[in-house]
Amino acid sequence: MAGHSDSSSSEKKSTEAMNDVPIFSAENMQNNMKVIYYSRTFMSIIGGVIAGILGFTGFMGFVFYFLVMAITSIGLIAKAKFLVHSYFDSWNRIILDGFMGGLMSFVLFWTFAYDIVHIF
Amino acid sequence: MAEDLVLDTAIRDWVLIPLSVVMVLIGILRYFVSKLMLSSQVPDPKIVKEGQVIVRARNLRAAANFIPPKSFRSRRVYFSNEENGLLFVPKGQAQNAQAQMFSDPNMAMDMMKKNLSMIIPQTLTFAWVNFFFSGFVAAKIPFPLTQRFRSMLQNGIDLSTVDVSYVSSRSWYFLNLFGLRGLFSLILGEENATDDTQRMMQMSGFGFDPSKSLGAEKDGLDILQHEWALPKFEHRAEAVLKKLIR
Repeated sequence: MAGHSDSSSSEKKSTEAMNDVPIFSAENMQNNMKVIYYSRTFMSIIGGVIAGILGFTGFMGFVFYFLVMAITSIGLIAKAKFLVHSYFDSWNRIILDGFMGGLMSFVLFWTFAYDIVHIF
Repeated sequence: MAEDLVLDTAIRDWVLIPLSVVMVLIGILRYFVSKLMLSSQVPDPKIVKEGQVIVRARNLRAAANFIPPKSFRSRRVYFSNEENGLLFVPKGQAQNAQAQMFSDPNMAMDMMKKNLSMIIPQTLTFAWVNFFFSGFVAAKIPFPLTQRFRSMLQNGIDLSTVDVSYVSSRSWYFLNLFGLRGLFSLILGEENATDDTQRMMQMSGFGFDPSKSLGAEKDGLDILQHEWALPKFEHRAEAVLKKLIR
């Protein structure tokens, strides 16, 4: 319903704060989901390259991946000015969405960078 | 496990990078080809009508709490009425729609084209990788895996003492296959044909679209409890306006 949009990012408000029963603008919700997905993918690629260059192996690398995802989540929440419920319908979305998809990209670029820098 | 194999730089130059570059390019090529091959099919008016009815019913279900109870009930009767309700489909007709969809030559051609455009590049690339790049260690994955993965990841290499982390180029191909999906979604926009799992879900849901979802919508509408959420909106509007004036 509310089409109010941030000027710099493309997150849009998807609920009216005043109603007792929250309604969601499906199109804005979808747009917000897309923003989360793109941010996570991009950060997991960059994180993979960093992990490979720094030489993380095994468990440390996955810990680094969780760290990168946590930083992404915090960044997204900060961008939404901490009013998570007016942009998304639940906490889980902004924290857990896109986790697994990002993992594959992370592993690919991690392997790539690690091999190029350390093995060859 | 500290034997760190030192691999030839030539492997990196001529195997890893070309393989990734080729897969990215094939993905881009497939995207453009699928855009070009999108044959414009004339949509069947009956199917479009049914689709729109479903959309209307869904809107009614989503926004049911904002209209007074009586109007909701009258709308619901309009949809799910036994004789001439829009969502009521007799059993015999339901089967027909699905069979017709699959025997329709245009639609079958389209689905086959989409399937082929997905499978052929993958098969070709896989065969190419197997033919040219087999029999040597291609990369080292940075995390350790158990011995059971050895047969899967190292199928060109016949030494059994090499660490499982050293993988053949076939596994580099698979790693690329899964990892480049994210990259494609970034550079090609959302609508790209490289995500097979999504495609397969769409395929399986497509054939049964009109007949079953009508029944599902009707059931959903029937069980919906109406709860009018705006009974006191006049008072609330008054309160809001008063706050604004003050």
